[in-house]
Amino acid sequence: MDLSLFEGKTMKKANIFIAILFALLGVIIIAISMTYPPSKHGVPGPGVFPIIIGVIILLASATLMIKTVIVSEKIPDIKKIFGSEFFNVFITMGGLVVYLVFMPMIGFIVSTAILLVLFIRWFAKKSWWLSGLIGILFTLGVFALFSLVLNVPMSFGLLI
Amino acid sequence: MFLNVFFSVINVHMLLYIAIGVITGITIGSLPGLTATMGVALVLPLTFSMDTEAGILLLLGVYVGAIYGGSISAILLHTPGTPAAAATVIDGYEFSKRGESGRALGISTISSFIGGTVSVLALILIAPQLAKLALKFSAPEFFLLAVFGLTIISSLSGNSLSKGILSGGLGIALSFIGIDSITGFPRFTLNNINLLSGVSFIPVMIGLFAMSQTFITIESIFTSSQVTQKLTRVWPSKEDWKKILKTTPICGTIGTIIGIIPGAGAEIGAFVSYNYAQRTSKYPEKFGTGITEGVAAPESGNNGVTGGALIPMLTMGVPGDAVTAILIGALTVHGLQPGPLLFKEHIFLVYTIFLGMFVANILTLIFGLSALKIFTKVLSVPKAILTPMIFVLCVVGSYAINTNFFDVGVMMLFGIIGYFMQKTSMSVSPVVLGLILGPMAEANFRRALLMSEGSYSIFFSSPIAIVFIGLIILTLFGPYVQNRIKKRTV
Repeated sequence: MDLSLFEGKTMKKANIFIAILFALLGVIIIAISMTYPPSKHGVPGPGVFPIIIGVIILLASATLMIKTVIVSEKIPDIKKIFGSEFFNVFITMGGLVVYLVFMPMIGFIVSTAILLVLFIRWFAKKSWWLSGLIGILFTLGVFALFSLVLNVPMSFGLLI
Repeated sequence: MFLNVFFSVINVHMLLYIAIGVITGITIGSLPGLTATMGVALVLPLTFSMDTEAGILLLLGVYVGAIYGGSISAILLHTPGTPAAAATVIDGYEFSKRGESGRALGISTISSFIGGTVSVLALILIAPQLAKLALKFSAPEFFLLAVFGLTIISSLSGNSLSKGILSGGLGIALSFIGIDSITGFPRFTLNNINLLSGVSFIPVMIGLFAMSQTFITIESIFTSSQVTQKLTRVWPSKEDWKKILKTTPICGTIGTIIGIIPGAGAEIGAFVSYNYAQRTSKYPEKFGTGITEGVAAPESGNNGVTGGALIPMLTMGVPGDAVTAILIGALTVHGLQPGPLLFKEHIFLVYTIFLGMFVANILTLIFGLSALKIFTKVLSVPKAILTPMIFVLCVVGSYAINTNFFDVGVMMLFGIIGYFMQKTSMSVSPVVLGLILGPMAEANFRRALLMSEGSYSIFFSSPIAIVFIGLIILTLFGPYVQNRIKKRTV
């Protein structure tokens, strides 16, 4: 993702982006629904309702686009949506995705403890040993609660 | 029957669950960035292995506690703990500036209790009658009810109608995924076996309401806020009591009515109540300077929403707000379908919910008055430590539903989508409500046409259906007509 796309972006541009994205969604829904079995004896088939919703999404996208372009002065154009703090969010999202990819392979306790230690160390600026202590204790607590008390199977992966 | 219900709620086991729920709710609500919806979504997975009654009462405790808890940080930190307490900030923080934070917290606690109790009474009086009426509904009426719910949700969410519709449309579109309930035809499954049974809506909710909120918290994670004030006298004075008792029953009723409207949550209930109190006051200019009514009105209004929102949820399966949407999920997990039949087949559970709500409000009052010092200590817990823990709870919670990693992926995806939606002023509530009302609308639309052999006249064949059509037209075009009239008079 190109981060500069969002840096300092205004609400007007965001609205146009949303309108295009949802219009695409509407078109995809309609296109796929057209391939579904037709209605029988006046009773709508599986594609009819999705087509109606697809059309409503398209109309709402068009309205948003027109309102944003024509009545643009009503939108707070100077509003900055994504500031520099967005980088922290983006890095967090990336870290979580990596965690979710590796957690089933590594195992819950090890991967979660590592994730917590790193995040607590980064966010709270605590020492390594304190971050480690909090991270490991919380992970073990969650594991015990879900695995032992609620009987959720939490043992998977190469390690624990 | 009533004695059975009484003893099923008033016993150590159940009271403990409600108390844990209320304490958890107040704690979550008082922490800025953690909302009532997020709290209920995070606690929900813990209820899967519980009895239905115990699980629902625990969640109701969290709901009632969190809506009240939001006022603690609103008064002490000038930051609403939940959006529902946004109106409380206006006058609440002025008390703190004068060194009277204890007095404001006392007013807030009593007002929340009265507002919540008014809404429970309304719930007990209205819900059974509405359920009786809803028993007369068949497919056309349920279809029109779902459409009515969807139109209200779209028009009430955020400042842009188009964005509200798009948000709701996304939710309905998600509900199409999976095997079609009438023909058995697989739709939008992308040949993925995990999508055959549809998108599990609890991970979507955890993602939209809990995960996305933590991403918002990350933006300000390196700034900390501390409570520096010492709490003074919490119990309201005689003068405050007079004003509380004058304001709260009406504002609690306003909140209840707002709660009944699908999609209108505690935040709207609080602001409408605040406006009402100001408009009808003998000294409206004093609002905003830290007066009793300025705290009592929004706090009774937002807690009034709690019982009100349960009315359409229990009687018709239409969620009054985002929290009740999650409660629908909780009931579904236990194999129960909210709606008029719940009053026929599971009346014991319904009355347990009524009494449980009442008890939750009493416990909120007790904890609010006796343990405020402890709850204010919670505000010192650094969000930098709490946020990563919430990540883990979101992951484990969404995994626990079906022990399926696919659900965790769905949660993460909707966490990211929810974050971007909030950043672009799109309300996330309509997504979940669309996800619930979409299938209700579609299935009943097709069932109605099956009944009438394709004749659309079935949608105009009963007085109830015509009332719904009138309400839909009013909701869609009312604001437009109102604006035109306003412009002409100006």
